[in-house]
Amino acid sequence: MSEVQAITEKEAKARALDIKSLDNPKAMKLYRRFDGILILVLFAFITLGIQIQFTLTAGDWDYWIDWRDRRWWPLVSPFTLLLFIGAFTYGIWTRLRLPIIATAVTTLLCLVSWLSRYLNFYEFTHFPMSFTFPSTYIGLGILLDCTLAMTRSLVVSAMIGGGLFGALVYPLNWSFMAPYKVPVEFNGTLMSVADLMGYEYIRTTTPEYLRIIEESTLRTFGGSVTPLTAVFAGLCGIVIYAIFLYVGSWINGLDKYAKRIV
Amino acid sequence: MKRMLCGKVGVNSLLASIVLLLLAGDALAHGERAQLASMRMRTVHWFDTQVTPLNVKVGDVVTVTGKFVTSVWWPKHMPSIEETVYLNIGVPGPTFLRLHSEVNGVPMMRSTAFPLGKVYEYTTVLRARIAGRYHVHPLLNVMDAGSLVAKGTWLEVADNESGEPFVNEVTTLPGDTIDLETYGLHGVGGVYFWHVLWIMMGVGYLVYWLATKKELFIPRFIRIREMGDDRANELLTKRDFIASSIFFTLTLALILGGYLWAENKYPITIPLQTGLVDVEPIEIPSGDLEVVVDHATYELAGRSLTMRVNMTNHGDSPIRIGEFLTANIRFVNAEVNEGEFYEGEEMVSMDGLTVSVDYISPGQSVDVELVASDALWEKFRMTGLIHDPDSRFAGLIFYYDDAGTRYYQEVGGSVLPEFF
Ligand SMILES: [Cu+2]
Repeated sequence: MSEVQAITEKEAKARALDIKSLDNPKAMKLYRRFDGILILVLFAFITLGIQIQFTLTAGDWDYWIDWRDRRWWPLVSPFTLLLFIGAFTYGIWTRLRLPIIATAVTTLLCLVSWLSRYLNFYEFTHFPMSFTFPSTYIGLGILLDCTLAMTRSLVVSAMIGGGLFGALVYPLNWSFMAPYKVPVEFNGTLMSVADLMGYEYIRTTTPEYLRIIEESTLRTFGGSVTPLTAVFAGLCGIVIYAIFLYVGSWINGLDKYAKRIV
Repeated sequence: MKRMLCGKVGVNSLLASIVLLLLAGDALAHGERAQLASMRMRTVHWFDTQVTPLNVKVGDVVTVTGKFVTSVWWPKHMPSIEETVYLNIGVPGPTFLRLHSEVNGVPMMRSTAFPLGKVYEYTTVLRARIAGRYHVHPLLNVMDAGSLVAKGTWLEVADNESGEPFVNEVTTLPGDTIDLETYGLHGVGGVYFWHVLWIMMGVGYLVYWLATKKELFIPRFIRIREMGDDRANELLTKRDFIASSIFFTLTLALILGGYLWAENKYPITIPLQTGLVDVEPIEIPSGDLEVVVDHATYELAGRSLTMRVNMTNHGDSPIRIGEFLTANIRFVNAEVNEGEFYEGEEMVSMDGLTVSVDYISPGQSVDVELVASDALWEKFRMTGLIHDPDSRFAGLIFYYDDAGTRYYQEVGGSVLPEFF
């Protein structure tokens, strides 16, 4: 690219992205078309990114119903989601004031998870959907985005939304997960329906001991594991989200280097 | 069958499986040849592996039985089977249901631990679920060490002519009979119901922000740049505030409502159950033969393992050596012609074992040369023995008394390569 061309292009861009252009119907039409493309690109990027990240971090907890325990799964999944959401939200909020990232991430993750469970687990590997359906985090995403929209403050939304996001994973999913925790007697042993499914539907490389789930220890306060985990996950949610908002602001600041190069 | 060893099991095993598959392709798929030769010889000796029947229809029951001895030569650097182990079955995923499994009579729904140098008898009862032709391997998942695979048996599962959908019914403790194939999915309050509802909520929220506004990404970007960060919040309208409050309230109400609804519908629930179970090991039924390994050599060209051992018969019946078993390969002494063979059994070398002495008489102590030779050494990549960092071997010797009673015991030691 020659020097002259670069300058004219830059000028044209500056002229095009002028505030006055917003009154120009022709320009607006162009923006609209461009916005469509941007949404597609952004959503495709989010889908791919969260799918990879979630698979690598929360993978098995989300694949199998007999991994979704009351201690680890409600901790791991909001963490991994919040760090992804935090890094994205900062830029989209400061530049566009659109409180959509948490909902977009959780909704797209849910859709792509269903697709992958259906194709990889149900069609290809013959697992029943009742054993491998994904969890949902969409409600948490909406809560987080709405707190941002209502308070218009990243800090306050991190305190309230981040906390709710961490704390409500279990109640949100309990609506359809409860039946899998109904007790069954099998060979004289007490098992939940989920445990029994994990036993009957054979997984060659996921032996029982591999499950990272709650084990009773002296520290367990009887039946209060769920609320304790919720409080802890809420607190961690706030911290993780705040940290990754900061990471997002740092990523966002990288464009000053880009400007310097231009 | 490749799937068998590369399930979706998180990063480590995912990457490991990819690497394994890239490196060795199909040969590793069933695991028979995957591990170092010395590892296969010195971990678990599987024998009497039997799968019956070999031709079934979807819905039929298949029983897998057998025994294994945990080797006292277990490699020191490898995580031990004495820590945590799970009796599993090598089939491609849930093509079968596992109805029952036990070791020495103890149900094996959970993981356990197996002390070394003992015998374990296992049974796994399967129900065919998906039609196909499968190589069924009993297997043990040893924590941090990987899978120990017994030899496979081909099993043919035909479709069920009735064409009815496969059901897997159980009765819960509260007394409901449920079909695990579709349990919890359908109907109001099921998995599909809630997921559709939440996806609609999420999409609705995104549609509000992305499809009902005249100005979106680029115009908003321009405005914020113009207004500066302090005034940028003015972009959020009153309508935005109302919409977000509605979504916020509705979401909280749905979460809470759904939770209470489920608590009410399923009042009795328990946490996931786990924990190790204990299995009482069985002592190896010792016969009257004392075996001391003097030395062993592996001859590359002849594909044979030669063991020089001293055998002493302390009993009052003559003893004949019938078989040597290592790494799932049965080297049988054709002269003795004892031992059971099962339908569809693989990895048997019918005259693979030659023994320099026919009988060991009562009270006799003799030096015996055992030669186990067969092309199976090559086929199952046992020739790699000499490349192993820890060149030792172990295996089971099976012998018979006059009445035809079978005894076995483990032998092992260093093995030296012989190149000519
Ligand atoms: Cu096989």
